[in-house]
Amino acid sequence: MLTKKQRRINWILVVFLLALSIFFLFPVIWMLANSFKGDAAITADMNSIAAFIPPAPGGGFFENYVSILTNTNFVRYMANTLFYAAILIILGIVVNGLAGYALAKIAFPFRDQWLLVIMMLLIVPTETVITIHFLIIAKAGLLNTIIGYILPMIVNPFNIFLFRQVFVSLPDDVYEAAQLDFCGPVKYFFTMVLPMSKTVVATVSVFTFLNVWNDYLWPSLVFTSSDLLTAQIGLNSITSNDNTTMGQTLAVITLVTIPVIIIYALFSKQIVEGVTSTGSKEG
Amino acid sequence: MRKKNSIMGMAFFGPALVLLTLFLFLPMLLTLGFSFTDYFALNPELTHFKGLENYVNIFKDELFVRSFFNTVKFVLIIVPLQCGGALLLAMAINHAAHCKKYFKVAFFVPVVMSLAVVSTLWMQIYSPEGILNTLLGNLGISAQPFIHSASQALPSIAIMSVWQGVGYQMIIFLGGLQNISPALYEAAEMDHASSWKKFKDITLPELKPLCVFVFITVTIGAFRMLVQPMVMTGGGPDHSTYTIVYDIYETGTVNWEMGLASTMAIVFTIFVVVLTIIQNLLTKEKEGNHADKKAKAH
Repeated sequence: MLTKKQRRINWILVVFLLALSIFFLFPVIWMLANSFKGDAAITADMNSIAAFIPPAPGGGFFENYVSILTNTNFVRYMANTLFYAAILIILGIVVNGLAGYALAKIAFPFRDQWLLVIMMLLIVPTETVITIHFLIIAKAGLLNTIIGYILPMIVNPFNIFLFRQVFVSLPDDVYEAAQLDFCGPVKYFFTMVLPMSKTVVATVSVFTFLNVWNDYLWPSLVFTSSDLLTAQIGLNSITSNDNTTMGQTLAVITLVTIPVIIIYALFSKQIVEGVTSTGSKEG
Repeated sequence: MRKKNSIMGMAFFGPALVLLTLFLFLPMLLTLGFSFTDYFALNPELTHFKGLENYVNIFKDELFVRSFFNTVKFVLIIVPLQCGGALLLAMAINHAAHCKKYFKVAFFVPVVMSLAVVSTLWMQIYSPEGILNTLLGNLGISAQPFIHSASQALPSIAIMSVWQGVGYQMIIFLGGLQNISPALYEAAEMDHASSWKKFKDITLPELKPLCVFVFITVTIGAFRMLVQPMVMTGGGPDHSTYTIVYDIYETGTVNWEMGLASTMAIVFTIFVVVLTIIQNLLTKEKEGNHADKKAKAH
């Protein structure tokens, strides 16, 4: 199909992009390769191509990883974060889902005005209110507690709006049939509405997980006790410890990234669709 | 029926409404209220109403002015590099006939990493005896201080941020490029249009709403810069990477000067809201034109 000239241009382009991608990824390649080395080897390899090649597998290959997993609180931080994410996914789906359903299907007073308010809240950046969140949680005596961390994060105007957009197109006759069945509205929501909307439930869950996993400022404000830290804050407390070697630092940041990579691998379709649709919907 | 609807509506909307009130409406009102006072959270009894005094004073405050201009510098470096880079990458990948999938993943990898991870990694990359200085040394360039010097810290962090973020906008642009009808290009080819002409007359106009969206979201993102300097430099050296949000955070939660922090937060919010409104106006208008053109073409 392509002419000879086009084919040549294509190959130049592909080779250029390949070279660019390797150059672009050099920090990541360096991180992975050296997370398996001791600091002496990292320094010794620095000035050769060996800096980008992992050492030969053998005794002590996983030493940095083993020492992070056994000598630090890191496993605890990971477990904490997974626990917070699970709670926030469940509470977030219930609270934001119910609100989205009310805005979509129940003709309660001032519904349209509330919808407008929710849409306006989408503009407000979190930085505007985060110091006041800190003040409220501190005054309530909830600093350094799981409840204090979780409470301000449950409600999310964007997720309410997302649920509303999906629920609005659900057929009404199913609801009417459910009513004849003496199925209460709340039961109907959990047994019919949510199972019929698996895609939006998955999207909200994935984005909630990523948000909890990657969040830095709020957990760093709320938590002071080492037992409650999230992975991101814990990572900072491990790497800023003087006894942590460079190889161990690289191993920690690799470990923190692994769960996110798994999520992206499993849900890449939803995530990419989410990314491109925010562009096309708002743009 | 109406009564039943209002009870049910409140039962469903209620939990969200309580939380919205506690953690959005109330904080927004408090921020606005505090911004006119000298509220000091450790001694609230001594609060005085100051009117607009804070709003005048923060622009006389050397540190806030410094953080404001630092933030502007971040925006000025990040926005053109990230938007332009993402568009160029997307167009190149869209053109390439091979390895498309690999390219998409490769340039997206840093997006997957968190800000704290990327910052920690690049502290090693940028270290005086680090890999970047070693690579530069091989090219005959002397060692650079990067994040350890007041003049290089800000550009170093900005370039790292572009590296991390560019893949996200690249995916958005790729989505947009794939939505352009191939018929447009075929028609241009019949007219023997040059590549540049095709880019200028087809690609760019078709992508315009998306460009506005990307431009504004990247601007807002750069405006919110905080975690990278917090992890890498602590705002230094010599406050050279101190940003507006960093100042809000330290004034409010470290010094407990909620009055001043609230004033800064309000100024910051006004900037973000104005940018968002501009984006909405521009894209709405463009979409309108777009629809008109399409209607005329048919």
